[in-house]
Amino acid sequence: MQDRYAYYPGCLASLSQKELDSSTRAIAKKLEIELVEMPSVTCCGAGDIHEAKPDYYLHISARILGQAEQMGCETILTICNVCTLNLRQANKALQEDKDVLNRVNDNLKQVGAATYQGGVDIRHLLWEVSAGEGYDRFKSIAVKSLEGLKVAPFYGCQILRPAKILGFENSDRPESLERLITACGAEPIDYPAKVKCCGFPIVLAREDVALGELVQPLQQATEAGADVIVTPCPLCHLSLDAWQRKASAFAGSDYQIPILHLAQLLGAAAGIEESELKFKRHVTRLSPEVKAKLKVPSAIGTQA
Amino acid sequence: MTEIKNAHFTTLKGAYDTEKMEATLRVRRYDPETKKSRFDNFTVTIPVTASVLDALDAIKDTHDGTLSYRKSCRMAVCGSCGMRVDGGAALACKTPMKKFVDAGHTITVSPMGNLPVIKDLVVDMAPFWQKIRAVKPYLDTRDVDVPEKEWRVEPAASDQIHKESLCILCGCCVSECNSMESDPEFLGPAALAKAYRFVGDARDQDTRERLRDLNGAHGIWDCTRCYFCNQRCPKHVDPRDAIAKLGAESFKEGFTRDEGAKHAKVFVDSTYKGGYLRETELVPKTIGPVNAIKDMPFALQLARAGKVPNPLSPHKAKDNDEVKRLWKLLEKEAKGQPRRANAKHPDAVQGD
Repeated sequence: MQDRYAYYPGCLASLSQKELDSSTRAIAKKLEIELVEMPSVTCCGAGDIHEAKPDYYLHISARILGQAEQMGCETILTICNVCTLNLRQANKALQEDKDVLNRVNDNLKQVGAATYQGGVDIRHLLWEVSAGEGYDRFKSIAVKSLEGLKVAPFYGCQILRPAKILGFENSDRPESLERLITACGAEPIDYPAKVKCCGFPIVLAREDVALGELVQPLQQATEAGADVIVTPCPLCHLSLDAWQRKASAFAGSDYQIPILHLAQLLGAAAGIEESELKFKRHVTRLSPEVKAKLKVPSAIGTQA
Repeated sequence: MTEIKNAHFTTLKGAYDTEKMEATLRVRRYDPETKKSRFDNFTVTIPVTASVLDALDAIKDTHDGTLSYRKSCRMAVCGSCGMRVDGGAALACKTPMKKFVDAGHTITVSPMGNLPVIKDLVVDMAPFWQKIRAVKPYLDTRDVDVPEKEWRVEPAASDQIHKESLCILCGCCVSECNSMESDPEFLGPAALAKAYRFVGDARDQDTRERLRDLNGAHGIWDCTRCYFCNQRCPKHVDPRDAIAKLGAESFKEGFTRDEGAKHAKVFVDSTYKGGYLRETELVPKTIGPVNAIKDMPFALQLARAGKVPNPLSPHKAKDNDEVKRLWKLLEKEAKGQPRRANAKHPDAVQGD
């Protein structure tokens, strides 16, 4: 873990999933890390720009990476799987081929944008706090034991695969979330779909296909007796949380499982207040039992 | 434990001289007559250099001759021995046993997913071949005087489809495809990588028809980007990347009417207009305003939780004029380049 990061919250945490941004800022303060704002960045493209306009994707990514470099930051901190993969994928392409990097930089120069020398790394919050010194720092601030809370980890795809771009841990048997859940004093719940897709990238274009994917983690985590699901990705969160009722209708079930952002779970264990964790901004509300187990000070989201 | 002395190992020079190890495998069995599944455990003594396929051979030779699985080349070329090892599809011949034995781990071997099981580890590849056939896996050379000898292609043009040409049709990418689990008719990673192998071929004359067909239901926009295919492919074809390339080719050729393409276009336009994604434009522009209105109760649920950003004051990043200029520059550059269809002939060089 470093003391200073260029902070790239991405679109969702800045717009519809603001609770993730505020929870992250609160936990960063506790961890004593400085988050340097990046006011001129664009969306990472979410894989969509990579697919539609790959050359443009490479250029806007280089522009983001170049801005971090000019701010004197070695590392961009991400809080979204999709941002992590897209920025790392572009970074790899730029770092591995000098001709590509030079051409991109020539174009960036022409439009007056920051160029990129190739010296930036992109790390997800999950990676920074689940291992090494960052894990020790988190352990030291996790003052509240969330004992009795059963947490189903949901990794999402783009923090695990492709491993040659992400590669933080074994993509079939990850354990970083379990390690953090345990560090919070809670109990990790195991289920096969924890490494599978939430369906979010195609939930608008192919809703039925996406819902067929989404029901798996909801069903399995519910059956395994989880109180909540925690995820490091705001897209997975939106899918699992906001589309939960549609998934219930699709599967003929009635899922009622609250979904936490990773930063919210860490924040609860660190004693951060509801005003910053903002559980009220979830579509699937926390039940009084779960509220009690999360031990968050002041009033938190109630059953709608 | 039975010492294995069969023709298979004696053909491996020096195999008998190598150190032996004892390995246990948990193998999923399926009997098509009773339609019942079970797991059998087998312990075999095998050379330390043995693969999962060697271990299965040892089981078949010394324990149970009825164990069924496919194999042929034993060297990761033929693509016959795709199966799940601990739940992940892999070539049995390319997966060494030693790391599992050293870890004291009993592996579970089971048939590939997303394909019907015929017996034990043998799956019915018919749906797989049907999808490969559906993408017309052959060159269309209509209206071209095909050279009598070889039709040489410049290395740069050949590089475009090098990765996709490495596919051995083993099915490992299909096994864990999350979209195919949900939509069995999805063409899937193997067929789509094959499709790109021809869309990207400088000699092929069928680009537009191919892309038109791939932009419909069960086509490229069904891909949920779970990246299991890239992770599983034993030949590093990276089928997901091939699907992304098909998306880019579709945009170049103007196939942008699929909801998936419209979705992608909102992201492109958002960065141009303001920086971050314009979330409120995503739904109506992807599924159309009528469907968006039908989905209003759902939108209200989101709005109640504060998840609908104000559409009247969208996010504006600082210095976004740079992005606008960048977009214009790249579009101009792309226009200056010949379109793919026209680029084909100069790239293709007739043989001597």
